[in-house]
Amino acid sequence: MTHTPPRLALRFLETFLPEESRDAVIGDIVERWEQNGFGALRFWLEAVQALVTLQFVRPDSSAFEPAQRESFLQGFLSDLRRGARSLARAPGFSLVAIGTLAIAIGATAALISVANPLLFQVLPYPKPRQLVMLNERMNDGSPGNIGYATYKDLREGSRSFTHSATYGTWEPTLFGEQEGERLRGLRVSWEFFRTLGVQPVLGRDFVREDDTPDNLNVVVISHSLWQRRFAGDPNIVGRTIDLASATKPTVIGVLPASFENVLDPPSEIYRALGYATQSWACRSCRHLRVIGRLRSDVTLERASRELNPMMKRLAADHPKTYPGEGVIVERLSDRVTSSTRAIFGVVIGAVALLLLIAAANVVNLQLARAARREEEFAVRAALGAGRGRIARQLFAEGLVIAAVGGVAGLIVAGVALPSFVAVLPDTLPRLGSIGLDATVLAVIALLVLFVAVAMGMFPAFQAGTRSLFSAIRAGGARGGGTPHHRTRSGIVIAEVALAMMLVIGATLLGRSMLHLLDVDLGFQPSGLVTMTVESSGPRYDSARKVFDHHDRIREAVLRVPGVKSVALTSQLPLGGNYDAYGIYLRDGASDVPVADAQRYAVSWDYMRTMGMRIVRGRSFTEAETRDTALRVAIVSESMARRFAGGDAIGKYIRMGGAERPWSQVVGIAADTRHEGVDQGEVRQVYVPERHWYWEESAMILVARVEGQASGFVNGVREAVRGVDPIQPISRIATMEQVVSRSIAQRRLGLILFVAFSAMALLLAGAGIFGVLAGAVTERTREFGVRTAFGATPASIMGLVLRQGGTLAAGGLILGGAGALLLSRYIGALLYEVKTYDPMSLVLGVGVVAVVALLACIVPARRAIRTDPIVALRSD
Amino acid sequence: MLGELEQVVLLATMRLGDEGYGVTIHDEISRATQRDLTLGTIHKTLVRLETKGLVESRMGEATPQRGGRRKRHYRVTPQGLKVLRASIRALRRMAAGLAVGLEPS
Repeated sequence: MTHTPPRLALRFLETFLPEESRDAVIGDIVERWEQNGFGALRFWLEAVQALVTLQFVRPDSSAFEPAQRESFLQGFLSDLRRGARSLARAPGFSLVAIGTLAIAIGATAALISVANPLLFQVLPYPKPRQLVMLNERMNDGSPGNIGYATYKDLREGSRSFTHSATYGTWEPTLFGEQEGERLRGLRVSWEFFRTLGVQPVLGRDFVREDDTPDNLNVVVISHSLWQRRFAGDPNIVGRTIDLASATKPTVIGVLPASFENVLDPPSEIYRALGYATQSWACRSCRHLRVIGRLRSDVTLERASRELNPMMKRLAADHPKTYPGEGVIVERLSDRVTSSTRAIFGVVIGAVALLLLIAAANVVNLQLARAARREEEFAVRAALGAGRGRIARQLFAEGLVIAAVGGVAGLIVAGVALPSFVAVLPDTLPRLGSIGLDATVLAVIALLVLFVAVAMGMFPAFQAGTRSLFSAIRAGGARGGGTPHHRTRSGIVIAEVALAMMLVIGATLLGRSMLHLLDVDLGFQPSGLVTMTVESSGPRYDSARKVFDHHDRIREAVLRVPGVKSVALTSQLPLGGNYDAYGIYLRDGASDVPVADAQRYAVSWDYMRTMGMRIVRGRSFTEAETRDTALRVAIVSESMARRFAGGDAIGKYIRMGGAERPWSQVVGIAADTRHEGVDQGEVRQVYVPERHWYWEESAMILVARVEGQASGFVNGVREAVRGVDPIQPISRIATMEQVVSRSIAQRRLGLILFVAFSAMALLLAGAGIFGVLAGAVTERTREFGVRTAFGATPASIMGLVLRQGGTLAAGGLILGGAGALLLSRYIGALLYEVKTYDPMSLVLGVGVVAVVALLACIVPARRAIRTDPIVALRSD
Repeated sequence: MLGELEQVVLLATMRLGDEGYGVTIHDEISRATQRDLTLGTIHKTLVRLETKGLVESRMGEATPQRGGRRKRHYRVTPQGLKVLRASIRALRRMAAGLAVGLEPS
């Protein structure tokens, strides 16, 4: 007999079998094997079965077994096993409890996965707290961009930073073996990556010598671009690429795959800024952003104290250029999260409420179960189990439930997360880092423990309050005033209150959304097709050629059947564009700064195509859009209000630096929402595209069509492509999609809130139902007696409804108060709805009351169907 | 009153006198009852019987067979005999006078 038994199985047995039976059991199994009694499969089966029966299932712990002192851990393990068994015997309870927890924990885990990289660890760079963003403080206190000359002065004068950098956006078009592609990138001063603390993984970083005027000789690319367009070419460093510029730039470095640019997430290519003395390096050309890394011994406050007086001095030297309000120095992390903080804060609050409700519900279920098991506990107490021992068992049961619920929740989160991330706007930073990571697991583990403690603690306190005698004597027929009921009723009231807060929150957000959908956008979004079209490369090396190309595109699209009008614009309302300039008013001999405004360079027919209203004055004539001699402009209503006396028509304005020409305002157009549907003041200036100082290589085409815009997308795109097939066409969408995307974040907040409130209502309803159903069962005898003495069904029903009503009313009052508290945090997300909105309060109360009533109906009906004879006999 | 499995294992151990250990007890049971129990089940039952004081065990010497692992020999205690007798008697009483075929043959 030379064949050896399966070694792995042997190793298992040797490791895990208890010492005292190890030799005997393994020996027996091996002996059978040697007699050829077992095959390999049977050997494994025997091994596993022996392990399970001898190690994990302790030999029957019947009363014959002599009492042993067991260690706490051993005892707890056996509690866990006992807990698992007792839960398996109560599948209804277990499933409801686990399901409840799975939903709440799943929602929590998903949200933490998203919020952690987006909010709490938003800067994936070394020493993130040293990173700050610097902005000019504008007249209205808002942060403004910075001109290059300003940055240069501040940089030379300041001693607060180890590194600082300034950057602006750059959108080159990459040609090559594949189709031309418009890239998103940044022009950065040479210390940009040093400031962030990032080094290229291949090649080198920019150095001071690269940062010279108009240097387009070198670029640094992202890992994703390297992989996507250059197939990860290991010799990429030193290769030249075609950006349709006069010189073909050389790739000098590739950034690591782990590098995420949270300042501009889609950026894939970087060139040196190369500003020195150009006219756009001026002080009022505020189109750059500035970041800095604080020296380790410098606080944010100290940097602010240093920079503000410097800025005040600059303002004193150049009074016409600066608003004189100083600078805003803020942590980069605060800046990056500014747009998401409000919404995530509120949604995290909502999920916390949901979690509390779920925990309360599970505790309540456990309390109800403990009430039915009172005799069991009383007997165990009588046999010498202390309150701690019983609490340990309840905790163990809770832990089993919570842990299974937690795992199920993580599965729910894992399944839901991808679709959740998909609806997040892709301009958010760090979307790629969202996942169920160690942090999430740790938080969920803590939550599981917390739920388990709660499930053990509450019933244990109850269990200790009744003596064995009273528990056994009372049998099942207890009155309504026991401590159990008070605790359980209290918990239900809390649940109703929390649910009410969520419902009111959802109502407030819902009403805001209705208002938002009702906002006059200033243009007609339906029936509009939009796409970004380009004029890049050597064929468009002069302004005339670019504008000719624009004309040809418009003519080609106009020929598409069903297209009514076509225009091109440098910016699209709600399109995520940002291109603001300081506007100056000519006032006699001097010029006065008015305000910053979004500059729209537009082709002929833009206003009519968009369906905009001209409030006063007139639109551009076709001659004006062609002839650069007639310099004209149109301003938005909000902008017009910024002019002295509110009258802009006929005035002469200048956009940007002092050397720029003056244009006469000929009309006032209705505000078209630019940054968001909820934006209040929208300052805009429109100029014919030929009047601007340069031609745009990329413009946004808008086409008004007859009927559904989506049906024309392909036709319009093919018409554009027909004009010059190698030019990339991007961001193809209907205007309605653009609008809808701009409120995506709010919609997401609303959807989550509604979903959470629905779950909360369901749980609170279940809570009310549970307590009432339990109370009705326990009061069966009482109802029987009452009926025997002539109580009508209506009066019995009244008793039950009163009990339910008390629970609901308590919850509604507390919840109303809580909602006032919540409203303070939700305020930032509301639009045209007051924080203390009576309508939402009434709606909230109504919804919760209806759910509470529904939860009362079944128990109440059961109560009136009580047969007095059966009821009295029930003991 | 003993469990059915306990009865079977006790009886098998008794029949084997001093020769009872896992494998022989297993043989004895499969021969008499045609049941193929796992060795783990038999050991679990033996451990339980021992905690109740119905069997006693001693470790044998190591031999070259079975990977040099020692056997645990089992023997029924007087207490075990008493309980087994009571248990079987009870069974007989329960079966007495019932339909033909249940009486001891």
